[in-house]
Order: sequence, then structure tokens, then C-alpha cells
Amino acid sequence: MVSPGALRVVRCGGSTLRGARAVFSADSYLLCAAGDFVKVYSVSTEETLRLMGGHADLVTGIQLNPHNHMQLYSSSLDGTIKLWDFMDGIPIKTFTVGSKLLALYTPASAEESVFVVIPKKGERDTFQLVSVKLTKGAGQDLEAKDLSVVLDGVGVSMKHIAFGREGEYVVSVKDVNLQVYFFKRKLLNRFSLSTVKTKGGDNHFSCVVCHPTEDCIATGHADGKIRLWRNFHHRKEYTYSTLHWHHDIVMDLAFSMEGSRLLSGGVESVLVQWHNESSCQKDFLPRLGSPIEYISMSSDGALCCTLHTDNRITIINSNLRFSRSIQGLIKSRDVKTGLVVDPRTKALVLNGEPGHLQFYSLQSDQQLFSLDIVQRQYIHQAGLKQSDLVKVAFSAQGTWLATVEESEEVTDPELQLKLWFYSEETQSFKLNTRINTPHDNHITDMCFRDMDELEDDSLILVTTGRDCVFKVWVMVEDSDPEAQQSVSWSCDFVGSYHNYQATNCCFSEDGSLLAVSFEETVTVWDSLTWDLKCTFCHPPGNIRNICFGRLTCSKYLIGATDYGFLCCWNLLTCALEWSAHLNVVVLQPDPLSEHIAAVSWLSKESSLFVFKPNEPRPIYIQRNLCKEKILLAVFVPRDEPEIISSEKYLWLRRSQLFFLTDTQELMTLSTKSLEERLTPSSKQLAVEGSLPVTPFSLLLGKHRCQQAQEDIDLGKPVVRHKQEQASPAVKELLHTPAHVLPSASFLCTIFINSLLISKENKSAEETADEVEMESEEAESDSDEEDVTEMEQEDTSHMELLGEMTCKLSKSQEKELRKIRKTDYSWISAF
Amino acid sequence: MGEFEVHRVRFFGLVPAGVRCLACHPRGARLALARTDGAVEVYNFAANYFQEKVIPGNEARSVESLCWAAGDRLFGAGLGGDITEYDLSRLSAARGVDGGGGPIWSMAANGTGTQLAVGCEDGSVKIFQVVPGGIQFERNLDRRKGRVLCLSWHPSDTHIVAGSIDFFRVIDVASGQTVQRIMVNHHVEKAKRECVVWAIALLSSGTVVSADSFGRVQFWDWEQGTLAESHTVSTSAALSLAVSEKEDSIVVGTSTGATYQLQLLPVKLGGLEKHWVRTKPFQYHSHDVRAVAHSPTALISGGLDAQLVIRPLMEKMQKKSYDAVLRKFTFPHRRLVSCARKARLLLFQFSQHLELWRLGSTEETGKDGEVLPLCQMPEHLVQLKSKGPEHIYSSCVSPCGTWVSYSTASRFQLYRVHCDGDSVSLRKV
Repeated sequence: MVSPGALRVVRCGGSTLRGARAVFSADSYLLCAAGDFVKVYSVSTEETLRLMGGHADLVTGIQLNPHNHMQLYSSSLDGTIKLWDFMDGIPIKTFTVGSKLLALYTPASAEESVFVVIPKKGERDTFQLVSVKLTKGAGQDLEAKDLSVVLDGVGVSMKHIAFGREGEYVVSVKDVNLQVYFFKRKLLNRFSLSTVKTKGGDNHFSCVVCHPTEDCIATGHADGKIRLWRNFHHRKEYTYSTLHWHHDIVMDLAFSMEGSRLLSGGVESVLVQWHNESSCQKDFLPRLGSPIEYISMSSDGALCCTLHTDNRITIINSNLRFSRSIQGLIKSRDVKTGLVVDPRTKALVLNGEPGHLQFYSLQSDQQLFSLDIVQRQYIHQAGLKQSDLVKVAFSAQGTWLATVEESEEVTDPELQLKLWFYSEETQSFKLNTRINTPHDNHITDMCFRDMDELEDDSLILVTTGRDCVFKVWVMVEDSDPEAQQSVSWSCDFVGSYHNYQATNCCFSEDGSLLAVSFEETVTVWDSLTWDLKCTFCHPPGNIRNICFGRLTCSKYLIGATDYGFLCCWNLLTCALEWSAHLNVVVLQPDPLSEHIAAVSWLSKESSLFVFKPNEPRPIYIQRNLCKEKILLAVFVPRDEPEIISSEKYLWLRRSQLFFLTDTQELMTLSTKSLEERLTPSSKQLAVEGSLPVTPFSLLLGKHRCQQAQEDIDLGKPVVRHKQEQASPAVKELLHTPAHVLPSASFLCTIFINSLLISKENKSAEETADEVEMESEEAESDSDEEDVTEMEQEDTSHMELLGEMTCKLSKSQEKELRKIRKTDYSWISAF
Repeated sequence: MGEFEVHRVRFFGLVPAGVRCLACHPRGARLALARTDGAVEVYNFAANYFQEKVIPGNEARSVESLCWAAGDRLFGAGLGGDITEYDLSRLSAARGVDGGGGPIWSMAANGTGTQLAVGCEDGSVKIFQVVPGGIQFERNLDRRKGRVLCLSWHPSDTHIVAGSIDFFRVIDVASGQTVQRIMVNHHVEKAKRECVVWAIALLSSGTVVSADSFGRVQFWDWEQGTLAESHTVSTSAALSLAVSEKEDSIVVGTSTGATYQLQLLPVKLGGLEKHWVRTKPFQYHSHDVRAVAHSPTALISGGLDAQLVIRPLMEKMQKKSYDAVLRKFTFPHRRLVSCARKARLLLFQFSQHLELWRLGSTEETGKDGEVLPLCQMPEHLVQLKSKGPEHIYSSCVSPCGTWVSYSTASRFQLYRVHCDGDSVSLRKV
């Protein structure tokens, strides 16, 4: 446990999945490199089961251990190779190589060594493929310094190297050159294509894969061609055939397990399946949403998965049917909307797919839904001017959503302001009003009047634009009898100030005042009469951000300027209360407290300052929050206030602070330790999935179903949902791997004892007992108060053969540790 | 340099005849080519693919198939039902023999060049003996219904494979009996359409290679009657195929104008197991590729767009030389236009007629590259039709423009042109 004093920065989503190809484990887990972590997903439920952290930098390669399919190698830019037991999330060994590792390969033929791509010493931008001998030895941390160079001048991406059939040769592509090195014959063949771009063709290689059973190399090219190379052990008589469907670069290729099918993907977001290397037989899976970055196949060939450039993972059946998609925080090209919290779902709302608004659930790290705002087909083509969403605002209850979209043209943007009404019937937003060209130039800011208690009629929307005005929009009764809706929005007031560009706007908490910043000046307006009340200025520098204080500090207005000043004005005295020299990038008030968070960017590090407007001294400072630049931040209200022991972090009680970095990683501040945070997810990683379905388990499952049916028929409710509420400790013990548990005979008595019938739960226990006898597997030792819980778990965990149910006291745990080394592998045989 | 008037002669409406078939000399020195108008051309590989000989066509004689036999003798057969031997020294057709089975669709010579097999409209395959001074009918092989569109001998001369519509059959030459008949239209959902076997080859290993109208190239084991491999090379018909001498490479022509190479490659490097792989596509033609040939160092294809394309195989070339250059014969390598310089007349030669044109003239002068306006448009003076089925071989107009002559394989004609004002008349001399 970490001491309660430390506040940690935790990555909680959106980290890029683009480090390496995903890997299917033998038992239907999907392993992905995500930033500095390796994520374990369940293929069947799409859940993130485990987050394996330990690398200090980007993970660049993950590969299953060819000699033990329950282990995973991962390489990272921090120069280490780690061997993981991904079932338990335990790092088994760490091999320190020393230099940056850019890709990792573990062909089965290479015993005790793996291949990595490292930068060549002394030369910039030159990389070499080396084989690393993984030394055997006791202890977790080992040095792996035994390197031997295999190929020089290789590409930097993991897609540029492939190992051939049975690891007999290795292929590397770079630019227009292809190198094949035969390990046994120590023969190196080089082939190059012409660099001349004839007929719009571009011969540059983009990826390479090898046929699993035949000697055939498939390469993808920048012009969308796929070449299949054969006979490449001859320098002259090599030959290749060409497959061509893609119109732009082939991002990745994958052969099926037998090699009869070849999958290819690119920016078209279409997965193409080529049969028998023939250009005439091909199948397509179109509309995958975003460009395909990596393709990987499961080892049994039943599934394939594509990683997309926007961090989406799509799982596809072997018959090329879309199966499911795992999408966390979708990476958009540019988060122009900022981070907004949907008051209704408490989801984070920001740019998603082009033209879409994504609603991202922070709790489950999943996308809730995606709202199509632009409603235009997105065409992937360079240089095409697209319309995209730039601003979004919710009304206080979340009933109204305002969006602004603009085309990419700089000089004369096509602007549209759309107002959406939340329809309770369809549970989604419905377009209410569309306003073409609400401003003559880019819209810089937009806000609703945030008044919780007031009627809908008083809802006011303010937009500020570079055309030097701010506009106030109100709802009006629709006079047109044929209109389907009763209200629509129209402009009520246009304000300007000395013909300066309006940059920001903000309502005070009670809605009576509107602050609009015009370049260097902040103006305050009365929201009833639209009179200019007062102006504030803190030259030099334009105003970057403004916000009102809340609750007890509502008389203050905070502004941040370009020249690095944070100013606090008192609205009652119309005077500057205090100012501080701070280059504020993000200024974010907590909606539920007086606290305001400011993130500064100074000398390549982001620092966080939390303060109350009534005192110039920040109540919390965290320097060097993270190495990336923080672009956006938002306070998300907690469902229930968290109990925070330390006085220092009281500002985190009501809301949680989230940051988005320039790499579109979402981070948060947490007072909890890593273990605490991970328990809810890691306890889900059960052994059940790892066991192949045997006829016996099927039989047992069937029997169980019947039994459950009987229970229902007899009117005996079998409470199942309670198992989710079982204490994590019980769960953890439930899912303790078989090899660390004591013998069944030892546990049997304890377990039976725990099943002793207590009166109030008689029926449930009977069922439990019956099934227990049949399996004679599950064993448990539990405290008296856990009895009922345990029983219900037993009934629903019957198919988990080889699984132990136990909750041990500390003394018993000690005992267990003693006998842990005994062999219990017979259990897994079931 | 002096000053020149450049005429844009856009009124020569010659339609070149498409390439119908190709025949490579067994020793690879010469290539015979037949066009759809019946003309036969011989190219010499050794002399940079020079067009050595041209035998003009004949309306009454079409050529469906050509083959070299008995050394340097060239035989052609066509829908007229005749087998013709060409006299390559006198550039004429000599000694026609009636095949006796209706139109002849295909002809193939055996490996030693002593026998010719012809496939006829009535479904018969006939064997002719090549004898000095001609050919002699030897015998009929087993006759089945359906025209024989293509033929191929086994390299050991023991079997012939004959392709028809929907099936092909293997005939034992010694007994004359059909020993295997294989339907090719199985396993196709569009089986209602007939499947034409356009080209076939019998390899020494006993593999039959067929190219059919579904665009497939299929490899069959004829003894078992089983399909070994099937490659769909095109969505339209595969029209022609040719096998290299080593039988490790096949070139296929399709009706989209694309040609494909298939190569016999080892499945595993250094392994013995081999399979056919479609490797290189070539798109040189705009129309059907009716004929392909495989010389040891090049792929040769001829299409209905009248082009002959010779694509050298880079991997067979020892060094970069003149031989390693792609060659395209897109226009006729013969003199079809003659010019009367003084009289400003042009004579165009077509297969069956001649056209005499007067060039346009201008009075203005201009700089290099400028287009001058015409004061007098080019004028079509006279069209002269030749008599008889023979095609015109050569033609000429005298420099003064008063004499026009042409010749066919058997005749020579001379005409005098009278120009008085607007009217032009011809008088046979």
C-alpha cells in the first residue's frame, strides 16, 4: 500500500494502441500494447480484464512465448524485454538490453533468443535487427547483453520485418529494397524495385508478411499494391505476382494459419480477403470506421482483429463477418470541442470519429455511443476539405446540446450551429434547429446559461466569434403550425466591443452576468438587459481563458492571458484582487466547489495548480504532472463524494479531475494506490476462459442448467447476481491459480464446513451442495458471515472445474504458502 | 536544315488486321504470324526480330493455325478446310490439301515434325504425314461430336489432347481411341453457359493445361481425370496459352488484352514439391489476345488490336542488351504509302484496293511548329479496287503522278492517271 499522502497521476484511457500488432492468446484473450501498458481484453465480452504496467516507456512489441503460450514477451523503448504471465498479470522476468527496442519478434525456431530492432550505434536513423540471447538465471532482473546483428539497415516499424516459414529466413523491407536472409545458408539476397513513380505508382514498401507454410513473401506498397514474392533464393530468377485493390497505402497484411487467405487493410477502412493468392477471388468487409493500422490472426484462425488508427479494435470472424468492436476513447484527428461532461450520463464528450461526437464512459473505459453531428459521408482522401465539429455545449440538465461545425477552409469557413434536444422516447438527441452561418467567421466559444432551477424558457446560448461580435440565442415558440416541434432557436441580441474579436464567454453561477473577453479586455454584461456593466483589462496579452468563481467565491472573475498572467478580479469592487505570473494553458472550475484548476506549460512540463479565487495562494501544486503537454482538463462530478483522508486533497472530494494530453491520452489524479484501483478489473480475469471446453464440462454445464431450471420451477429463487458483490478477497481466492493451492484433501474439510447449512438460506444451499458433490472440486474456507455469499457463488461457478473456492484466514494463508510448491497440476487436467 | 512543309495525313484509314495465331520455330530462330486477313509474316529472332517475309493474304483463305514441321516448312490451316504449305522463298501459298473434315480450327505438329494433326469442325482429328513436296493423309482418329478448337501433342508423340466446347479428350495416337474425356464445366455455378476450351497443352509429365472461356487456367491429371490446380486469371475468357520448352512457365492471353505468366515454382525453397503460381500480369493489348508464344527468352503475344508484343524475360537475360528491350510492333512493317513528289499525290495501299489522294496546300508561311491554314483541302481522287481474292502485295505511284501500279501474288497491273481539272480517270495499261 502506498502511503495515503501521495497523489498519483493515472492513465485511464485513450492511450494509443498503435505500438504493435495485437496478439491473440491461445484461450481467447486479446493482448494489445497500449502506451506503456499491455492490455488484456476478453474477446467474448470486450472487457478490459487487465492492465499490465511496468515498462517505463512505450511498449513497441508484444509476442507470445512460442514455448509457453501462457507467457508473453513485451519490448519497450525503455530498453527492456519483459516476460509476463498474462493470466495473473505477473512480470516473470525482465531482461535489460540497454538500447531502445523498436520491435520484437519471437520465432519458434530460435531457442532462448528473441529478435529485436535497435538503433545502430553511432549512426542516426539507422536500425538493425539483432538477436538477443535471453540468459537463464535466477532472479527477476537479468541483463541480456549477448547481441548479434542479423540484418543491417532495417525499417523502424515492426511491420517491416517478418520471419519466414519455420524461422528459416527473415525478410526486411525498407523504402524500395527487400532483403532476405537465410539463417542456415547464411545467404543474404537483396532485391529492389524501381524508385520511379510510373503511372502514379509508388513502389515503396509499407509492410511485409511471410506465408506460414510456403516460401512466399507478401509485401504491401505505398500505392496500394500487394506483391507476392517467390523463388527469392535466386538472385535473378525471383518472381512476384501483384494483387491490386487498395487505392492508397497498404497498411498491414496477414496470412491465415494455412496461408490460403491473405488479409489486407489500409486507409479505405476496408478489410480485403484474398483467396489462394488470386486477384479474382476476394471478399471485402467495408465500413470499419477508420483506417486499419494492424491486422492480426488468432492462432486457431477463428478470429482476426484489426487495430485502427483511432484506437478502435475490431474483432472479425473467420468468415469475414464483423464480430464485435472494442472501443475506448476514440482518437480523433484533433480534439477541437474540448472536454465536456454530459450532465445526463456523466460521460465525457469530445470529438470522436470525423464528424461525430463520442460519449465516453469513464467508469467502464468504453464508448457509450457516437452521435453523428455533421451527417455527411466522410471520405478518406488527402487534401479534401472536410467539415468537422469544433464546439459543443450542454445545457445544465443535458436536455439541450449545441454543436458548431465548420469546414476546414481557413478564410471562409462554412459554419453551422445545431441545437439538439434530448428526446426521452428515443433516448437520443434529436436535431431541433440548424442555423447556417451563425457568425461570419470562426466561432471561438459557446456556452449555455447554467441555471439548474430555472425553467427551460430562460435557457440562453451565447456564441462568440472572430467576426467581433457575440450573439445571444434564445428559444422562441414556433409560429409555423406545420412545424413538428414547438420551439426553435433564434438570435436575440448581438453585442460587440470596440470591434475586437470576441474570444471567450462565460456565465456567472446565478446566470445574471455574462463575461465576454474581447482580445485584451474582459467585458461583463447584465444578462437581463444586455447592458455593459464593466470591463477588466490586464495588458499585455490577449485573454486566453475566463471563468467565474463559484459558491462562496462567486464575486470573483478569473482570467488567464497569453503573456502568462493569471488574474482575479473582484466584481463588487471592479478591481483586480490579485494576479500571478503563470503561463496557464487550461483553466477549469469545479462545478461543485469553489476550486479552480489551472494547468501551466512551462519549460516542457505541465504543472497543476488548484486554488480558490478568494486567496491567491494555491491549495495544491503538483509540478511535472506528466511529460506530455496537457491540452484539456475537466472536472467530472463523482457519483458519491469520496472519503479523502488527507486535508490536502479535499478538493478531489466531489469531483475528479481528468486531463487530455496532446497524444490524446486521458489521465486522472487518484489518491488510491495502484492495487486498489486495479482490483475491480483484475478480479474478473478468471480461469474459466482458459479451460478448453471438454465434453465433460459441457455435460456438467447441461446438468447445471437443468438443475437451475428445476429450482425456478419449484419457485426457489437462485440469487446469482450477488456473486458480483462478493468481497474482492473471496474473488481473488476463488480465482487463485490451481498450482498455488494446497491439496484438495486438505481443503475439503474446510470447504465442506463452510457449506454448512444456515437456516435462512436453505434452498439455495441445497442446490449448492448437490452440485458440489458432483464436481467435488470447489473447496472453501470462509468466515461465518461469508457463508451465504459463498454458497451463491458456488451455484454459479459450477463449470469452473479445477477452481478452488476459498477464503483463508491469515494463519491459514501462511500454511498454504508452505505447501504451495507441491505439484497440483493434476487439477488442471480436468 | 531546310524548310519543310509537314502534312498531317489523317485520311489514311488503314485498319490493320489482327493477329490470329503465332507459331514459334522449334529451334527458336523464327516466328510465324498469321493475321485475320490471311496474311502470314515471318520474323527472324536472330536479326533483332526483323520482319523477314510477308505472304499477303487471300480472301478465300483464312488462317486459323500455323505450325512449323519437318525442319523449316511452314503449314497453315484455316476455316476454308485446306491445309496449305507456304513457299517461303517465293512468298506464296503452295500446295493446298483439303482436310476433308470441314473448316479446320486447329493444327499441331508432333515433336519430330513428321506428322500434323488437324482438328475439324465435325469433331474429327486427322493425322497427316509430312512427306517431301507435300503432305499425305494418314488416318482419322476417334471422332466425337463438337468442333476441335485446339490440339496439343504429348512431347513423346504418343497422345494428343483435343479441346472442344465443354470438354477435352485425350486420344491415344497409336490406337486412335479416346482414352479420357474430361468435362471442364463442373464446379461452376454458371454452368448453364457453355465453357469453351480455347487453348490446351499437354505437358510431358502427363498434365493437361487448359484455358477456357471462364477465364480459368486449369491443370489436369489426364490419367486420373482429376483437376490438380485451377487458376482464375481473368473474369473474361482465357483465349490462348503457350508453354515454354522447359515446361516451367506458361503464358496465357485473355480477352481483356492482358497476358499472364504462370510459373512452376517450388512450394518450399529447395524442395521438390512444386506448384503453378500466377506471377506477372502484362497489359499491352487493348483487345483480345488471340495468340501467344513462349520463346526461351521472351513472352510473345499478338492481339486483335494488330499488335505483336515481345516481352523479354529479364531473369533469362545475362546482361542488359538490345535483346532485353520490350518490343511492340504496332504498325505494319511494310511500305503501304507511296508518294508522287512532284504531283503532290499520295497512294495508299489497302488489302483489296488503292486510294489516290491529293495533298492539301497552303499559301502562308510560318514559324516552326505553327499550324498553317489550308487553302485547299486534301482531296480523294480515285479508289482502285483489285480483282480476285488475292490481296495487294505492293503498290507504287510514279513521281510525276501519272502512273500507278500494283501487284498481287500472281498479277501485276499498271494504270495511267489522267488529271484534267476536277475529273480524274484511270486507264489500264
